[in-house]
Amino acid sequence: MLEYGYGSRILRLDLTSRRYRIESLDPAWIKDVIGGRPANTKRLTEEINPHCDPLGPDNMLIFGVGPLTGSLLPASAYYTVTAKSPLTGILGDSAAGGQFAAEMKLTGFDQIIITGKADKLLYLMVTDTGVDFVECSQLAGKNIVQTTTAIRAEQNDYAVQVAAIGPAGENLVHFACVVSSGNRVNGRTGMGAVMGSKNLKALALRGRKSLLAADTLAFLDEVKKIEQKILQHNEYQKRYRMGTTMLMKDLNGIGILPTKHFQQGVCEYVDEISGQKLAATYKVKNKACFNCNLHCSRYYVVDSHEAEGPEFETLCSFTSRLGNNDLVFALEMNEYLNQMGLDSISTAEVIGWIIECREKGLLSPDDLDGLKIDWGQTDKIRQAVEMIAFRRGIGDRMADGATKLSQGFSKEAQKLVMQVKGLDIICGDPRGIKAYGLTYAIASRGADHLRAEPYFELTERFDEAKKRFGTEKAADRLAEEGKAALVTYSEKIALLCDALTMCKNIGLCMDILNLESTAVLLKAGTGIDYSPQYLQEIMHRAVIRDFELNKKFGLQHDQDTLPQRFQKEPLTEGPTKGSTVNIKKMVDEYHQLHQW
Amino acid sequence: MIQIDISKCTGCRRCETACAFFHTGRINDHLARIKVTHFYETGIDGPVACVQCRQRFCLNCPVKALTIGPFGAVIVSPTICQLCGACEKACPIGAIELFDGFVYVCDLCGGNPKCVQACTEGAITYQPETIEQASLEDIKKQTGKMNPGQKRHFYLNQLGAELRRKWSKKHA
Repeated sequence: MLEYGYGSRILRLDLTSRRYRIESLDPAWIKDVIGGRPANTKRLTEEINPHCDPLGPDNMLIFGVGPLTGSLLPASAYYTVTAKSPLTGILGDSAAGGQFAAEMKLTGFDQIIITGKADKLLYLMVTDTGVDFVECSQLAGKNIVQTTTAIRAEQNDYAVQVAAIGPAGENLVHFACVVSSGNRVNGRTGMGAVMGSKNLKALALRGRKSLLAADTLAFLDEVKKIEQKILQHNEYQKRYRMGTTMLMKDLNGIGILPTKHFQQGVCEYVDEISGQKLAATYKVKNKACFNCNLHCSRYYVVDSHEAEGPEFETLCSFTSRLGNNDLVFALEMNEYLNQMGLDSISTAEVIGWIIECREKGLLSPDDLDGLKIDWGQTDKIRQAVEMIAFRRGIGDRMADGATKLSQGFSKEAQKLVMQVKGLDIICGDPRGIKAYGLTYAIASRGADHLRAEPYFELTERFDEAKKRFGTEKAADRLAEEGKAALVTYSEKIALLCDALTMCKNIGLCMDILNLESTAVLLKAGTGIDYSPQYLQEIMHRAVIRDFELNKKFGLQHDQDTLPQRFQKEPLTEGPTKGSTVNIKKMVDEYHQLHQW
Repeated sequence: MIQIDISKCTGCRRCETACAFFHTGRINDHLARIKVTHFYETGIDGPVACVQCRQRFCLNCPVKALTIGPFGAVIVSPTICQLCGACEKACPIGAIELFDGFVYVCDLCGGNPKCVQACTEGAITYQPETIEQASLEDIKKQTGKMNPGQKRHFYLNQLGAELRRKWSKKHA
C-alpha cells in the first residue's frame, strides 16, 4: 500500500454492463513507471487486444495522473488520456492541464480505465466513494462549456471537474479531442473519438480525499527552489505576457514558421498575427493551471468570441499555415475548435493539404465534391471546419484525417500530407530545427514534438551543450550532429514530466526539471527511493515499451522518418534558407543509442 | 481582512492550496478557508474568503461557539462547536463551511496570511485595519437556500459581471 503521493487505487469501469470495480494499485507495478503517461502505456500494453477496433468496445480509454499531480509542485496539473488511436491505429495519448487532474487526485484514483460501450449517451460522475452512470440524452450535440455547465448545475457543485467531448467526438471525427476546464484540450490522436465511440459524453469528478507528502518539509523545500527557478527565469516575463504564442515571431525570426502548408518558413504579415499583437489587443487577463506560478495561459474577448488561449499551435495552424492574416478569425476558430472538440493541428492539416493540392493541380475541380478553397479564404475555411465537425458532405471523408483522405488520390498528392505514422505535423518546420525533426520522426504517437521537446537546441547554450552532449553542435539548431544524444536525453525528461506529472513548458522548455530534482521530489513526495541513474533506466525502458506496443499494433521502424519535402526541398528564403534534413542519419544514430 | 481583486485572478488556486497546506499539511480544497471558483463560460475566476461583513450573520451560532477575534477574524471554538451547520447556512457567500468534523473559516493565519504570500498576481491583499465593512444584506436575500459552493458561485458571478462589462468596453 502506497501511503503518500499516490491515491493507491485504480478504477475500472465497463460501460456495456454499467459496472465498476475499485482495485488497489500494486506498488511493485507502479515503481518502474511512476505514473501518468508511462503508467497508462504499460496498462495498455498489458491489457489491450492489439487487433481491436479503435472505435469498438474493446478499446481501452485510460485517464492517468501521477504521484505529484495536484501537489504543491508548480504546474503539477497534467493528466494523460491513452487509448489505441483511431487516427493512426497505433499508440494514442494526449495530455492536458487545467484543473481536472488535481480533482482526479482527490478521488483517490491514480488511473481510471474505461472499456465497453454504453447503450445510451452517458456521463460518469466519479467521486471518492464510487461512480454514477448518468444518462444524458439532453447533452447530445452540446458543446464543451454547455456540457460542463450543465453537469455542474445538475450536481449542485461548482467544484466538479468535467472532461467532455463536443459534437466532433460524438460524430467520431478521427481527430476529436477530450476537453476539460472549458478550454483545456487533450488534442492529439483522437481520444475524443474513442470516448464518443463508447457513448460517453463526459467524465465528471469530485473528490474528498486529501494529499499528503511523505516528508512534508523536504518536499516544500524542493518546491520553493523550483518556484524560484521559474520566477527568476529569463523567459518569465515573455511567457507571462504571451504564453506559447511568443513563438509566432520567434519561429518566424529563424525562418521556420509554417506558412502556406510548409511551403515557406517566413511569413510577411507575422506582425498582424503575432503573440505580441494578441497580448496588446484582445487579451483581457492571464489564466493558469492548478498551482502554477507562471500563469502563461490567457483569456481573450473579441466581438462575440471569447475563450481561453489560443496556444501557439492553434494560432499558427489557423493563420500562417493556412495563409491567413486575420487574427480575429484565428481567435474565432480557437473558440469554435475547443467547443466542438476538434484538434486544431489535424484540422488545419486536412485543409492545408487540400489547398496545396488544388494549387498544384493535383485535385481536379470535381474532386472532393467540388470543394473550392484557397489560402486565407476565411469563410471557406470556416465552412470546411464545420463540415468536418459534423461529418457533413465531403467533411465525412475529411474527418478521417489527411492521411486517410489522401489515399484516394495520386502518389504525388499523398506525399504532400505533412504527417508521420498518420499523425499530422505540428507547427515548426524541421528544416531549421533538426532535433525537433528527429523527434517528429521517432515519436511513438506519430509526428510530435512533445515526446522529447528538445527546446535546448534553440537556446544557443554552446558550453552547456558540450558538457551535456559532448558537442557544441547540440545547441546549433541547423546542425544534425549531437541531436540524437540531445533527443535521447530530453525524451527521458519529457517522460518524467508526463509521469510526475508536470507541465513541459516549465519542466522541459524552461529547463527546470532534471533527474536529480526529480529524485528528491519523488523521495519527499512518495517516500520511495529513486536514484537519478535508476530514473534514467526506467525512462529508457518506458521508451522501449512504447516501441514494443507499437510493434504489436503493426508499426515498423522504417516509419521513423519525415515527409520528403523536409528531406529534399530546401526553404527558399530567410535564416533557414537552403537547409534540408538528413533524417536517416539522425534516426540511425538515435536507433544505435537505443541499441535497436 | 483579506481583500480580493478578481480582475487579477488567474484561477491557479495557489491561495487555496497554500491555505489548506499550511493549516493541515494536506492538500484538498475542502480543507481550505479560501476557495476558488472558475467560470469556464465567462473567463471569470476568483477566490472567496470571509469579508468580515457588517452583519456578521455567522454569529447566530446557537451555542455561541463563534466569536470575533483580533483583526476581526471569526474564531470558532472547537470544544463548544456542535457542528450543527447554522453558521454555514447563515453566511451569504459560502465563506464558512463544515468538512469532516471541523468548521473552516478564514483565521488570517494570525496576521500573516499564507494566501497573500502564495498569490504572485497581487489579487489578494491583507488589510489589518478594516476600513469599511461590506454589507451582504442584499446577497443574503438571494442565496438563502443555496449550499456554500452555490453561494460562492453566485457571489463571484455578481462581482464578475462588472469586470466583464469592462472587458467588452475595452474592445468596443
